[in-house]
Amino acid sequence: MFDLEPDDELALVLETARRLAREELVPPMRTHEADRAISPALASSWEEVGLSTLDVPIELDGAGMGCLARVFVNEALAEGDVGAAIALDPYGTALVALLEVGGLEAARTLREATGDGARRALFVDARDALVSEDDAGLTLDVPWVAADEAVALVLLDENGVCLVTEGLAFDSVRGAGIRAAGGGRLRLDGAPVAGRWENAEGAGRARARARLHTASLLLGVLSASCTFSANYAQERQAFGRPIAHHQALAFLITDMRIALDAARLVVHEAAWRVDQRLPCETEAASAFAEVIEVGRTIGPNGVQILGGHGFMADYPVEKHMREARALSLLHGGFDAAIEDAGQALIAQERPLGLGQEGAL
Amino acid sequence: MIDFRIDPEAQARLAEAAEIGLKELRPAGLEADKNMAPIPVGDPFFDRCLERGEGGTSWTGLDGKRARSPRRSVVERLLLSEEQAYWDRGVIIALPGPGLPENNVISMGTDEQKERYLGPFLEPDRPRWACFGMTEPGAGSDAAAIRTTARKDGDGWILNGAKCFIGSASRSDWILVQATLDPTKGRGAQRAFFVEKGTPGLGSFKIEKKMGLKAYESTSFSLDDVRVPAANLLGGEARYESSAGFKTAMRTFNAGRPQIAANAVGMARSALDESIRFAREHDLLGRDRVRDRIEAISRKVRKARLVGLKAGWLADEERPNIIEASMSKALAAQMAQEATTLGLELVGIVGARGDHLIEKLYRDVKAMDIVEGTGQVQRMIVARTLVGLPR
Repeated sequence: MFDLEPDDELALVLETARRLAREELVPPMRTHEADRAISPALASSWEEVGLSTLDVPIELDGAGMGCLARVFVNEALAEGDVGAAIALDPYGTALVALLEVGGLEAARTLREATGDGARRALFVDARDALVSEDDAGLTLDVPWVAADEAVALVLLDENGVCLVTEGLAFDSVRGAGIRAAGGGRLRLDGAPVAGRWENAEGAGRARARARLHTASLLLGVLSASCTFSANYAQERQAFGRPIAHHQALAFLITDMRIALDAARLVVHEAAWRVDQRLPCETEAASAFAEVIEVGRTIGPNGVQILGGHGFMADYPVEKHMREARALSLLHGGFDAAIEDAGQALIAQERPLGLGQEGAL
Repeated sequence: MIDFRIDPEAQARLAEAAEIGLKELRPAGLEADKNMAPIPVGDPFFDRCLERGEGGTSWTGLDGKRARSPRRSVVERLLLSEEQAYWDRGVIIALPGPGLPENNVISMGTDEQKERYLGPFLEPDRPRWACFGMTEPGAGSDAAAIRTTARKDGDGWILNGAKCFIGSASRSDWILVQATLDPTKGRGAQRAFFVEKGTPGLGSFKIEKKMGLKAYESTSFSLDDVRVPAANLLGGEARYESSAGFKTAMRTFNAGRPQIAANAVGMARSALDESIRFAREHDLLGRDRVRDRIEAISRKVRKARLVGLKAGWLADEERPNIIEASMSKALAAQMAQEATTLGLELVGIVGARGDHLIEKLYRDVKAMDIVEGTGQVQRMIVARTLVGLPR
């Protein structure tokens, strides 16, 4: 029955992730952004932590902790710096997408291609790309990925996934944010397909996991914005008192926090469904849409609360605002998410009835 | 361990509640709305409630062996509240039983008080009610501002004042009246007293006319030199050192806010299902605009439910839930108003006729943003903790 307490293992992992985010990701945040890369020292020290293989199955030498653990940790790391969180994660959703569609064998192929995660793989939803295929191979154009390089691409469409390990070309782009992970336009020009797995149901679950992955990163960014702006508002004085004590701002900060907490629960519930092997596509689409919508409010208002200071790069809230927006555009963005969720909802008689499948 | 499951037993109880809701609550609510009056005391509806085992107390008796209504976890109670409110929120407030003050009596009452005031609810011989008299014309969400006075008089107390919007007051066996020893001394001077039906000076009952939720009575009454014995002071004098008197009421509010949120979620879900049904019947679901709006409301219902359950879960865990309780109510009440508004916009001019379920829900649901502290008060409560907003 309803319980929101992480088990001891997850609590421990989460504590580690939060500490690392605070100590290792926040201080060099602007340096990483300017360098368009994380420091080699951070990258090498990270391998020992093991957070990157959290949701990799035990059969593939991962921790096998599942989707819910991944979204918890994603949020914690992204609260420090989402660019670094992405740069430090060799697989993103690429591995679990292969797993959902093609099973362990497919996932193992990617493990091998990346040298067990020594080099990055990219996940791309075909909705974010121009894709065509002919006898010569796969041709693709993705306007932006949060990477300058990668050794493998997992491309998801409605029917399944394909794996590409050759011919990945990157044109460097500035990137609206998340620059610590790099930023490039990804192109394939008749690249050979290393593997293809078709399974529409698995593709749906893979998209759900991808959306939850991004949603949880977004949660981290928004949480950082909420916390920073709320703290600032309690220190900054205007008209003789902290600006947070003017009711207009007090209510704004409150509403931001309510929206964030609510969105987090929705993401957690959807991720829990993934791990329970319950239907999760609608819930994940809905959760992604919710976090995006919340981000529309929190991102700009985090800046607004700081006034002129918020607009300056001296404070992190402008970065939060940019990065939240960029993340929100992935996987077809808000419109694709509400379309998927809406179509599924109207097919049901009573979509939110209690106790269906023994879950909320 | 994180779990969003509803266990099979709770699921079965929810299914049963849905069946009762469909057969009993929904028709009774629609009837009361049509009659524009509360369900009358002698209505067979209440007898059927007793036959189903409702209308009792969760108090286990002094010997600890009896329990007419088993006590469930807060989370399960919230789910049940949601399901019941889905069918009719006004009717569930009208249901017989010791109502809002029950928890106060269980947690603070003396053994004698429990026996006297909850005892008759162990095996009720007829539909019985009790209620909590807090709100006054000049003190709504600001419960510290109540003006009803209690003056010590020999071995008893004299109460004077006026209460309003009190549910089931005219039909209650007793009312737990919140009063102050000194209106200038704020919360610490407040006490709660059992005032039994027929006590001289308790009167001028007036059932208010409401916009919605017509199935239960919201009643104003006056207390004119009402004399109650010392034994009627909830918990006895020792309980009321420092500011504990006020905390009695606050405790109720804490338990109540997620409950109201759950009600709002149920009502919103009702409006949503009705909206989808209407849209399907009228071939509107193919329109992007309609579908997008339904999706948006569904999403809000889902998140409001989860926030409320989190508040309930914290209560089950005996952890502080002040922020979460307020958040849940602020969020759910607002969301439910949007859900019913959308529903009316979907049904269009039909909604203006005044006989559509969604139109009733639209009127009913407004109260969810008002009772147990308005949405604005909830935000003030959260902001006090979040950013130290001064009182």
